[in-house]
Amino acid sequence: MKRRTFLQGTTVAMMAGVAPKLAFAQDNMITFGGSVPMTGAAAETGQNVLQGYQCAVKFINEEMGGVEIDGKSYQLGLNIFDDASDPARATTLIQRQVDEGINFFLGSFGSNIVLPTCAITEGAGRIMVQAGGGSDLIFTQGRKRVFGIFPRASLQFVSSVNMFTSLDPAVKTVTIIYTNDAFSEFQAEGARASLDEAGIEVIDYIALPAEVSDVSNVLSSVRNNPPDVLVCTTHDQTSILIARQMVSTDTNVPMLYQTLGPQTSAFRDALGNYANGVVTQAYWSERAPFSGDYFGSAADFAAYFRANFDRELTYHMASGAACIVAYIEAAKQAGSLELDAVRDALAALDFECFYGQVRFTDDGDGDASLLGPLLIQRQDGEMEVIAPAEGASADPIYPAPTWEERA
Amino acid sequence: MTLFLQTILNGLVLGGIYSLAAVGFSLVFGVLGIVNLTHGIFVIAGAYGALLLFKQFGIDPLVAIVPIGLVLFVTGYVYQRTIIQWAVSRASLVASLVVTFGVAMMARNGLQLVFGPDVHTITPAYSFMSVTFGPLRIDVVRIVALGASLVLLVVLALVLARTHFGRAIRATAQQPLAAELSGLNVRNLHGLTFGLGAAMAGASGAIIGIVQPFTASSEVAWTLNAFIVVVLGGIGSPAGALVGGLLLGLINALTAQYVGPSLTQAAMFLVLVLMLLVRPAGLLGNAFGESR
Repeated sequence: MKRRTFLQGTTVAMMAGVAPKLAFAQDNMITFGGSVPMTGAAAETGQNVLQGYQCAVKFINEEMGGVEIDGKSYQLGLNIFDDASDPARATTLIQRQVDEGINFFLGSFGSNIVLPTCAITEGAGRIMVQAGGGSDLIFTQGRKRVFGIFPRASLQFVSSVNMFTSLDPAVKTVTIIYTNDAFSEFQAEGARASLDEAGIEVIDYIALPAEVSDVSNVLSSVRNNPPDVLVCTTHDQTSILIARQMVSTDTNVPMLYQTLGPQTSAFRDALGNYANGVVTQAYWSERAPFSGDYFGSAADFAAYFRANFDRELTYHMASGAACIVAYIEAAKQAGSLELDAVRDALAALDFECFYGQVRFTDDGDGDASLLGPLLIQRQDGEMEVIAPAEGASADPIYPAPTWEERA
Repeated sequence: MTLFLQTILNGLVLGGIYSLAAVGFSLVFGVLGIVNLTHGIFVIAGAYGALLLFKQFGIDPLVAIVPIGLVLFVTGYVYQRTIIQWAVSRASLVASLVVTFGVAMMARNGLQLVFGPDVHTITPAYSFMSVTFGPLRIDVVRIVALGASLVLLVVLALVLARTHFGRAIRATAQQPLAAELSGLNVRNLHGLTFGLGAAMAGASGAIIGIVQPFTASSEVAWTLNAFIVVVLGGIGSPAGALVGGLLLGLINALTAQYVGPSLTQAAMFLVLVLMLLVRPAGLLGNAFGESR
């Protein structure tokens, strides 16, 4: 046999062997693309979201044997890359995946990354369901194919204000600290608007730079003019810094409320007993009374996650998993994997699962009345739900003990 | 008045930490002419080292400064004698900028692989204590950090001024050729200087670890801070780093209190640009520049 003939024959044989497999992979695999911060400043929460995605894929593939859509069976796959908490890198990664033909995208973590990446997927006619960006800008610029499990930032504070008004003694004054980024600022603005509406005075409204190394001067202002509640719409690292410096400078307020940070094990490790009494938000609790076809109940999800993954369970894992569950449920209801059909089904989605009643607004963010935050307070080391009252596992401790009393 | 004094105190304490974190960068820049973009990695490696020693063996971060300094001294020496030396001798001094940038990226990811992406803090017994001076209040960890910074800066200044090693470093920085003709091993001294810079950075990292939360990606901010401190204070001397650091701390604190906390970085960069325009060698000038 001549060398050229041999090569031609081998190539044809290889192609014949590979081609059906490629076709099989494409026909029977639903691949979700995207990026998350596996490294960089947002890596801690990014890893949490990623494990949420992985948990849902593992459960659906292994425990449910995949999904059946329009009579065909599919396995799920993830095509998620590390964006290193860098929006520029994330946009490059997402554009590449768009070019490769990925149709369904999951979100990164952080509005500063979700915002530019969802603009790319929207422009390319692809869909993104995400649990990492709450900035209003994601949902108010007319996009039709971007869905968020969380309500937009400016609507995330309604349940908090309801709790403030129910406390005894009543909350009269609030100071808000936020960092100069798309999520934190919108959440702070939403908080101020909700507080104004409720007649609670915002006595200080303090902006910090995106990267913070010291808050001594801010805390001097807080000590000079102490509020009933100090609200920090800051990210994990800044929240830890603020709380630690509050303890060490003995800056006491009746309630310290930080929207991000206290959920993490890093916060607990850094603060120890001082973490008790700090209030935060959570968009899901394993004690919540929700259940559905995927995972079963909230408690079942928690048990499955702990049995298969090593990170400490936070609501970010549940939110990440809920993104994939929403996709699959929408595709089932559409009876198709066509982009337009899945998009329309997502927009019309209204179903209960372990995460809660999943429904999106016309702008694509989570319905605030169904998917708004629970309020959590660490009490004796346990994360207790303190509001809304109907789902509460404990009463709020207010006013909180002084730092000295918590030692 | 109390608020003003409190602001000044906060600024000085913060500035002390900036000074210590920058002195190694300043020394390497002054003696070797290298803008070491791996500097922040040494700082954060020091913080991780202190965390490890504290969690595994209960060693206080202030005590851990000694072993961390030794380890990073050796690391810095080897790093300079191999990778940086190769880059500079085969290309130019500018190549060191690219090399240190690349090494910093790899090291950042390496640290994250080893220690994970989570935020870390070191919490010795005095972490949450504060002291008051009349109406003024400051947390103990920051006072301790300032004290340790001053001690280490004074020790470094004495080493540079009073010891044979220090004189050799200064001679190498001022006239490398003359130093070599006098029998000094300039290459070895460059390695030792780089090692000393890395040791100082690691020591500052151990202190920074008790003052604020850190992750591997925090290294970028500490390289940047060091650069600003050197531009403000001047190159090559502990005194320049001290002046630059304290100035940076005061700018940070006064801006945060009287202009707006969100504008601290803008103010820092504004002063940086002004200084480069008005007095590019920094307030105290280049400690070795006049002889060159």
